[in-house]
Amino acid sequence: MRFFTIICFITIGLTFSQDELMDFFDDNSQELFPVIATFKATRVVNMQSVELPRQKTLEFMVQHRFGSIKNGFYDLFGLDEAVVHYDLKYGISDKIAFGLGRSSWRKTYDFMLKIKLFNQTQGGGKTVPFSLVVFSNVGVDTYREDGRTPNKISSKMKYLNQFILGRKFNSRFSAQISPSWVHKNLVSTNLDKHDLFSVGLGGRIKLTNRSSINGDYFFPIGNRANHYKAGWGLGCDIETGGHVFQLMITNSRGGYEGSYIEDATGSFDNKNIFLGFNITRSFTL
Amino acid sequence: MKKFVLTLYLLQVLVAQKYITRNGSVSFFSETPIEDIRALNKQTSCVLDINTGSFAFQVPIRGFMFKNALMQEHFNENYMESHDFPKATFRGGIENWLDFKLSKQSQDISVKGALTIHGVSKKISVSGTILKDRDQIKGVAFFDISPSHYNIKIPRVVRDKIAKTIQISVNVKLEER
Repeated sequence: MRFFTIICFITIGLTFSQDELMDFFDDNSQELFPVIATFKATRVVNMQSVELPRQKTLEFMVQHRFGSIKNGFYDLFGLDEAVVHYDLKYGISDKIAFGLGRSSWRKTYDFMLKIKLFNQTQGGGKTVPFSLVVFSNVGVDTYREDGRTPNKISSKMKYLNQFILGRKFNSRFSAQISPSWVHKNLVSTNLDKHDLFSVGLGGRIKLTNRSSINGDYFFPIGNRANHYKAGWGLGCDIETGGHVFQLMITNSRGGYEGSYIEDATGSFDNKNIFLGFNITRSFTL
Repeated sequence: MKKFVLTLYLLQVLVAQKYITRNGSVSFFSETPIEDIRALNKQTSCVLDINTGSFAFQVPIRGFMFKNALMQEHFNENYMESHDFPKATFRGGIENWLDFKLSKQSQDISVKGALTIHGVSKKISVSGTILKDRDQIKGVAFFDISPSHYNIKIPRVVRDKIAKTIQISVNVKLEER
């Protein structure tokens, strides 16, 4: 009898313990949350990342690619001259962004459209394992070649279309793969192709909450001319409040889209690689 | 005697009434001369046992919505580290609950318990108000917390933009389960 009473009171105690109150939350983990910050910036190094400018945010990005490092201190590892690409992008929603850019590399103007088809999610229930983005860019090369008749505008145009499939594996490691198609309306010789396909790989490893090591590389699909170099970039991201700084070495000088995929010029063989940086600044409108 | 204990037991178990919500509000406000930061979370869960006055809160950190999406990202990634600490919780009780009578009038209460944010647990006491309107129990509380108490690191460059004490407001409407 006494035993029974004790059991009853103990179970009453258990019934009202706070752990039971916390148990109420167990079935509460069904919420889905979109995965954020797969990358810190809208570019991994050169390549476009799965990130878009945020909703109702104007994003200004400056990309500098300095001269070749091969002359050493004579021109301070290329810092005496730079190719500059500016762009201004706006996030209409968290799924659609557009932007305008200008590169001093062949005086190219470009227009871009970036659409997030779906976003990776986490939480309870059915999650989406990756984010998928489609990116499209049109560039107009306005460089004047001496002694030649000016080209028609259509001949100056170059297009890039790509899918970007990215996943944030954990808070430190993210990676993405990007099947890409570059189309050039005008090519230098008969042997050059108008349509060029490649697959880009990019990733980052976070070192601290505010810094990471990033890399990207484009693998060509099909034959290329002899002078072709696969474009790559290796850099680090440093985030300070409203800015993201990206410092890098790369073998491509044009910040503008088509250039780093198909028109990279440098290689390690002749120390013809370039230092550079990107600075991203966001303005909430 | 045996019957009496059994009846008491069953009565206690049956009468164990819980009031709950899954969409309570928790918001915070950081005020500095340079910048005001605020965010609202409407996915807060709360459960109150009206027999004992003990209760618990659970706040999903990713549920805090900011006007500025970049701030929201930094809040999760750099400060709250919501990938490692996805929830903030509070478990505690209302003081002198057994002598307390709920009414339509809003009454002051004081609450004691453990607040866990960013993986750090601290005992806090907070004052608030409570009232019962038809089937709903409404609770409101305002209090301040310091990020430094919860091991939330704020780099020097943004130290002037984030208040030393953050004002928290809690607002829940509980319904019987």
